[in-house]
Amino acid sequence: MGMFGGAYNTIAFDANKCDGCGDCMTACATAKTGTVDQSRSRIQIVGSEAEGFELALCRQCADPKCVTVCPAAALTKNYANGVIDWNADKCVDCLLCTVGCAYAGIALDAGTGHVAKCDTCDGAPACVPACPHDALTYVTTSRIYNEVGDWEDLFAPGLAGCQGCNTELLMRHTLRRVGPETVLATPPGCVPGMGSVGFNGTTGTKIPVFHPLLTNTAAMLAGVKRQYKRVGRDVTALAIAGDGGASDVGFQSLSGAAERNEQILFMVVDNEGYMNTGMQRSSCTPYGAWTSTTPIGKGPGNIPSQGKTQDAKNLPLIMVNHRCEYVATASTAYMEDLYDKLDKAIQASKRGFAYLHVYSPCTTGWRFPTDQNMEVARKAVETNFVMLWEYNPTDGLHFTKPVDDPLPVTEYLKAMGRFRHLSPDQISHIQGKVVENLAFVKQMAHREAV
Amino acid sequence: MTTATLETPIQAKPAKQKVMLVEGNEAAALGVALARPDMVAVYPITPQSSLVEHVAKLIADGKMDADIVDAEGEHSVLSVLQGGALAGARTYTATCGPGLAFMFEPYFRTSGMRLPIVMSIVTRDGITPQSVWGGHQDAMTVREVGWVQVYCETVQEVLDTTIMAFKIAEHHDVMLPVNICLDGNYLSYGTSRVELPNQEDVDAFMGAKDVNWHVALDPLRPMAVDPLTGGSGGKGPSTFVRYRKGQCKGMQNSLRVIEEIHEEWAQRFGRRFAPLVEEYRLDGADYAIMTLGSMTGAAKDAIDEARDAGRKVGLIKIKTFSPFPIDALLKSFAKIQALGVVDRSVGFRWNCGPMYQETMGVLYRLGRHIPSMSFIGGLAGADITVGHFHRVIEATEKLLSNPAPIEPVWLNEKD
Repeated sequence: MGMFGGAYNTIAFDANKCDGCGDCMTACATAKTGTVDQSRSRIQIVGSEAEGFELALCRQCADPKCVTVCPAAALTKNYANGVIDWNADKCVDCLLCTVGCAYAGIALDAGTGHVAKCDTCDGAPACVPACPHDALTYVTTSRIYNEVGDWEDLFAPGLAGCQGCNTELLMRHTLRRVGPETVLATPPGCVPGMGSVGFNGTTGTKIPVFHPLLTNTAAMLAGVKRQYKRVGRDVTALAIAGDGGASDVGFQSLSGAAERNEQILFMVVDNEGYMNTGMQRSSCTPYGAWTSTTPIGKGPGNIPSQGKTQDAKNLPLIMVNHRCEYVATASTAYMEDLYDKLDKAIQASKRGFAYLHVYSPCTTGWRFPTDQNMEVARKAVETNFVMLWEYNPTDGLHFTKPVDDPLPVTEYLKAMGRFRHLSPDQISHIQGKVVENLAFVKQMAHREAV
Repeated sequence: MTTATLETPIQAKPAKQKVMLVEGNEAAALGVALARPDMVAVYPITPQSSLVEHVAKLIADGKMDADIVDAEGEHSVLSVLQGGALAGARTYTATCGPGLAFMFEPYFRTSGMRLPIVMSIVTRDGITPQSVWGGHQDAMTVREVGWVQVYCETVQEVLDTTIMAFKIAEHHDVMLPVNICLDGNYLSYGTSRVELPNQEDVDAFMGAKDVNWHVALDPLRPMAVDPLTGGSGGKGPSTFVRYRKGQCKGMQNSLRVIEEIHEEWAQRFGRRFAPLVEEYRLDGADYAIMTLGSMTGAAKDAIDEARDAGRKVGLIKIKTFSPFPIDALLKSFAKIQALGVVDRSVGFRWNCGPMYQETMGVLYRLGRHIPSMSFIGGLAGADITVGHFHRVIEATEKLLSNPAPIEPVWLNEKD
């Protein structure tokens, strides 16, 4: 278990849904004091309809200031459930904690003369079901952080990825999950480019790792897997490949391995181009995008060069048409979803071909600030520019994060420099394709489900 | 003939060998089965197809216990085997012509990774012009890529050499992939009597499988396979250079190992093939012709007739083409005054046959001038007949008293 304990639950508040009715406070007061005196509630809704409502409640902080300032050790962090426990026997009623807390999460209860704070009602907070507007929810936080933190990071420290690289994040999570009984193929691209296979005699990975050719990842991996199967050893065959190798020059071996239903987990890290070798266009590069081989210029014959002139190849849909054991799209902005799919893909790869397509923003090649990585990844989903779904032959295709009320695609496009030059016509082409692609996948989801 | 001696002679007597009538492709398949590979990957291409069909049938009939991968092309065929070998599998495939060309990217890499993969090349001429017939152009085109390449003369030699190839490849002093080249059409479809070695005797000959002791993809001994090397910074090119040097050493070691293994084969199975270079009626000859592969049969008949007619001509046949058997050739060349070299493919850069081009380098090392010339025949499945070889003999004999022509002689130009 990590320093801050296991998976923690917390009470989340959506101010947009709150109308200040106070039912939560009544419920809390009833549960904790046996009265309906809202002033004695551990949860306090403050503010007004005009200025908006805010929540005053213990956040069960990971780095709790109340605990730090308490001179009597009456407040302690419970590493098992994440709750800040208050011990009445030790408390000297100095109230320093009420000053230390920035969230007004601990306050004097006039009815007892001592401080009082939320203890989450032992995991069943009375306030949450009392809210008539679902403004309060009881959610699990840091599950992935806490769980994954205990698994070994199978990449060596100091990989030479770009600052803020999404691929490194994805690789470290993936390998932690897949574990040491794995053979990892990393074809030429960002994954080995940052040192996964090592330089001059050193290795970047703590499990067997190799450079296939850009063209033969799936075939080489199939050979490895088949031999272990032959000798009765359970070894996971994992590829972490770029979109260029998978969708372009390596597509034949990918398709062949999928058709033969080789027992492989093939993960494509789609950063929409040949980013490691200088940000050139791939067949997964979206329409209109600047790349180093689809540059912007005034063009020959007064026809301006305005980025890629074709739409992206939809590789995951092509893989669905191989009827793989499992196919899914994922995004690092939705880690729970990604982990769920990774688990399913690992299991599927023990039966046959599993394909995971992860949309992976590239701070260097897409031209956005390094701290905007998750925001760009999230906007891609919120605009339906990319769709998160999964497929297996039994249940067909279905959306895992459906976005029924998408943002306009410009919210995504304006987040990065590679689309800076787009004309209104180009933007409208992209918006049209988003609608068309969504309709197509929806049709497929409907058809596959039948 | 060059021979090697074993320190301990093989005492075992081979069991009675089954006699069969098979084509060369089936003989190769039978040899593969006897060598017990774990994995074969297959893709059809003329004139190789019946070879992998025979392998597939042997597996389907339960006569061979190997994982067969019907890959989607030759590129993946070799790639699957690379993965298999890195996981410890003994591996085999076969190809030719355009299939070999398509396979080139992983082909180049196989020798670099020192993987002892065995692959038959059922030799086919290069396209274009379009052709599906025999010729050495495919194998010759990849002669500089670090695979050991041996050429067979007969169907029996195909069978026996296919088995020996695995042992050569896996020898710790070699650890290189091996091509057994058998002539498309002439050997692939040529049906001959063969003696089939007994499985137990082959098992005793092969010994324990030892494929990935030096490089592996195995969670029990994790390592990075093929990390980046070279460049002008850091450790610089040292790793790469030492690696390449090791490959070249492995190639040179294979000359000795091929001799030893052929000698062991002769002792165990009673069939002796010249491992590197065969001399035929060379003693007492003033001049010689040089051959490769199945054409040698007709050439030997022509030599016999020429000798009966009083011509002092002998024959030198190369079996091991890569690495080029320089020392063995120098011993043969020391006996003659002129040489005619017959190729079944062309060398575009030198306007001669590739074997002739290689031979010129050896002649330079001889230290005295021997006139020589190049003959090109048997392209696109053409037959090189005894009659053709008489032309070769006559033209070569003229080198004893006349200047050597620079241009090659094209044997089938007017056939």
